[in-house]
Amino acid sequence: MLSVLSYGRLVARAVLGGLSQTDGRDYSLVTASCGFGKDFRKGILKKGMCYGDDACFIARHRSADVLGVADGVGGWRDYGVDPSQFSATLMRTCERLVKEGRFTPSSPVGILTSGYYELLQNKVPLLGSSTACIVVLDRRSHQLHTCNLGDSGFLVVRGGEVVHRSDEQQHYFNTPFQLSIAPPGAEGVVLSDSPEAADSSSFDVQLGDIILTASDGLFDNMPDYMILQELKKLKSTNYDSIQQTAQSIAKQAHELAYDPNYMSPFAQFACDNGLNVRGGKPDDITVLLSIVAEYTD
Amino acid sequence: MLTLLSMFYYICLRRRSRSGTRGEALSSRRAVESGQRATLPISVEVEQYAKEVLDFSSHYGSENSMSYTMWNLAGMPNVYPSSGDFTQTAVFRAYGTWWEQCASAPLPFRRTPKAFHSQDYIELAFEEPVYPTAVEVLETYHPGAIVQIMACSLNPFSQNPPTDIRWEVLWAEEPTKVLTPQARQFSPSIKQLSFPTNLIRVEVNSSLLKYYTELDAVVLRGQKDRPILSLYKMPRIDICDLSDSDEDLSDPGHINLGNGYFDKLPYELIQLIVSHLTLPDLCRLTQTCKLLHQHCCDPLQYIQLSLQPYWARLSDTSLGHLQGRCTLLQRLNLSWTGNRGALTLTGFSSFMNACGGSLVCLELSCCHFLSEPCLEVISQTCPGLQELNLSSCDRLHPQAFTHISKLTQLRRLVLYRTKIEQTAMLSILTFCIELRHLNLGSCVMIEDYDVVASMLAVRCRSLRSLDLWRCRNLTERGLAELAAGCRLLEELDLGWCSTLQSSSGCFQHLARNLPCLRKLFLTANRTVCDSDIEELAANCPALQHLDILGTRMVSSSSLRKLLQACPKLLLLDVSFCSQVDARIVQELCGLFPNVAIKKSFTQ
Repeated sequence: MLSVLSYGRLVARAVLGGLSQTDGRDYSLVTASCGFGKDFRKGILKKGMCYGDDACFIARHRSADVLGVADGVGGWRDYGVDPSQFSATLMRTCERLVKEGRFTPSSPVGILTSGYYELLQNKVPLLGSSTACIVVLDRRSHQLHTCNLGDSGFLVVRGGEVVHRSDEQQHYFNTPFQLSIAPPGAEGVVLSDSPEAADSSSFDVQLGDIILTASDGLFDNMPDYMILQELKKLKSTNYDSIQQTAQSIAKQAHELAYDPNYMSPFAQFACDNGLNVRGGKPDDITVLLSIVAEYTD
Repeated sequence: MLTLLSMFYYICLRRRSRSGTRGEALSSRRAVESGQRATLPISVEVEQYAKEVLDFSSHYGSENSMSYTMWNLAGMPNVYPSSGDFTQTAVFRAYGTWWEQCASAPLPFRRTPKAFHSQDYIELAFEEPVYPTAVEVLETYHPGAIVQIMACSLNPFSQNPPTDIRWEVLWAEEPTKVLTPQARQFSPSIKQLSFPTNLIRVEVNSSLLKYYTELDAVVLRGQKDRPILSLYKMPRIDICDLSDSDEDLSDPGHINLGNGYFDKLPYELIQLIVSHLTLPDLCRLTQTCKLLHQHCCDPLQYIQLSLQPYWARLSDTSLGHLQGRCTLLQRLNLSWTGNRGALTLTGFSSFMNACGGSLVCLELSCCHFLSEPCLEVISQTCPGLQELNLSSCDRLHPQAFTHISKLTQLRRLVLYRTKIEQTAMLSILTFCIELRHLNLGSCVMIEDYDVVASMLAVRCRSLRSLDLWRCRNLTERGLAELAAGCRLLEELDLGWCSTLQSSSGCFQHLARNLPCLRKLFLTANRTVCDSDIEELAANCPALQHLDILGTRMVSSSSLRKLLQACPKLLLLDVSFCSQVDARIVQELCGLFPNVAIKKSFTQ
């Protein structure tokens, strides 16, 4: 009797184990980054990866690979606050959270919430605001969990087509949702969105999927078809070719941004809203290009 | 095919054997060079960072945060070799002597051994047990706090923990002044151990430091194999070894030689002499002769008892032996004791039943053996208890705190970093109306501090000091009621209470209503402004300690007014106040040399 039960248990476990995962291999993201600061400040590299007022991070933990992009809101400069401090500190804090395992892969909003909370725990009185986009690949379950607050975002490209993309969150024109810490007294005046306002999504990914995470400096200057054209040139999954493609995308966006006659997506959107403008949008550009590959140690 | 395979195997085997002999030759050569026999294995030296922080007595940061908290001490360093005040380091709650100067501080216990200096501790677990050859602590800000490093024979990751747990001191020294606040790698020469260890305890004393010390990482270097040098095994002195041996002294065959001059001295004088001995010496002295046995077991010698310096050796048996002598016990310090099964409910309740009757002060900081029945025993056996310290007893179930409300004579209650809940808190405040000193720092389970504040204002009107460090939801309403009800308040710690806004006028209201204010901490309240400082200057002439870290709204002019109006001011922390730069601080230090003006920095 007992042996039947134990045998049955073994069989059930084997069957269930087999059903839960058709593919036993772990996935991982091979990621390269590139970017340009708006005022040609790419020479000044602060700690971590910062391009102008944009900041990003790439981190890994035992069970997941995590990417993040934050676009510092430039308007703070007029009030004597360095906009890059907030985005850089936010991204560095999220990176540390990931490295120390203080997160759940299925909840990138949790990373953002914890990161924002840690900013408030800093003795240094930080001021400023930024958008944020966090992408998490759960290695075992092959799921991509994302959250996006503001107008940065991501694209998932499979077989030359965009299969997933993030939506822009804007309050009004050129005013994205943003995490912020305002000076005392100005809390009512300064836009401050909660991390819970971020859009979240989760979906399966396959080997070979390309994930492009970028700030609005890319998406406002390069329409999808141009990005897809560049991505077609990506042939292999090694780091160098990904780095090359990321660089070419960022460079192209950077050149288009300063072309006064080019009808950029930003100009198109403005025209649709009644503003007669043309040309690119000079902005900080950050590009994180990843490919889903098999996990190798 | 076969020949190919056989060739393949032959080549592989040859290669393996060749490398094997090469390796052996190397090892024998190295062994010969170090003067040992060639057949001995080489000891592999392992270098490890801490894997996990197991226990600690306090920290600066919030629970659930990774900024300035003790959990940063595990893993690789984040800051070293940079110096500065960074979030990624481990920071203790206090520094210097500022907290000891306050009225809320407990009186020191008599008979504290001169060699015991520790104020805080942290216990770290490493991955692999080794025989340690070096312990390095990477200190990144205001170094010099470490006074003792200890190692434990227990492997915290083992499934079957042994019953016999030994702690050995690897290194100990008095606190010394370190001149610069710069980062340093602290690596004292440590004693050799006879057992492998992966559990290290670092004890600190920050009393000589100018600011908070910050630690980045701890490195344990050691050998996996037992070192070859013969070890001198240090005798382990156990208090329970020093048991009363009445049998020997009443032996009829014993020749009584008299006690020499001691027979001529009056009783009280011998009592006075014996009162200068530390506890282990006292226990040893009981075994010398009948007269000294009588003196050393006299309950008058045990009115104050501090067992904290002996935390590593204290067990139920030790308490059992001391029980008979402690019937007049008034002040008992069991802080840090009893962990990992050394003390149990049985031993503790037996001791309390025997000795709790006259107890006035009970220190139980970091006593993780405490459970709800223990608190019940305390409430039943110590009706006259006036001081209770349960600091960092974070494993104590919230239900346990309900028993504290039976201690109606309580004057001092420390609940720092405990999980006390709102209902138990309000119940305590309803009944313990004699409260003078209350510490609710980092009590994260209390939902609404405004309710607690208004209850204090109604019931505990003799409150002198209140620590609300990191109480996240106290608002101006609660603060106003507190200021109205507890007019005798001298110390108020509102550090990191982010929901208080200066624009509501709450700090000015506070200053006007609390003229006796001696200590006010408004750490990291970004809204503190010039008018608040001016109001303090105008209304609180007794002010001694003020912390306004991290506000952008205070300028040097209001600080000048404060410094002039408060002649007793001793501590002023203006770290990260953007309008007060190093030059202004230097100028103010020159004008007001009696005030320690603190200005921390990140780079």
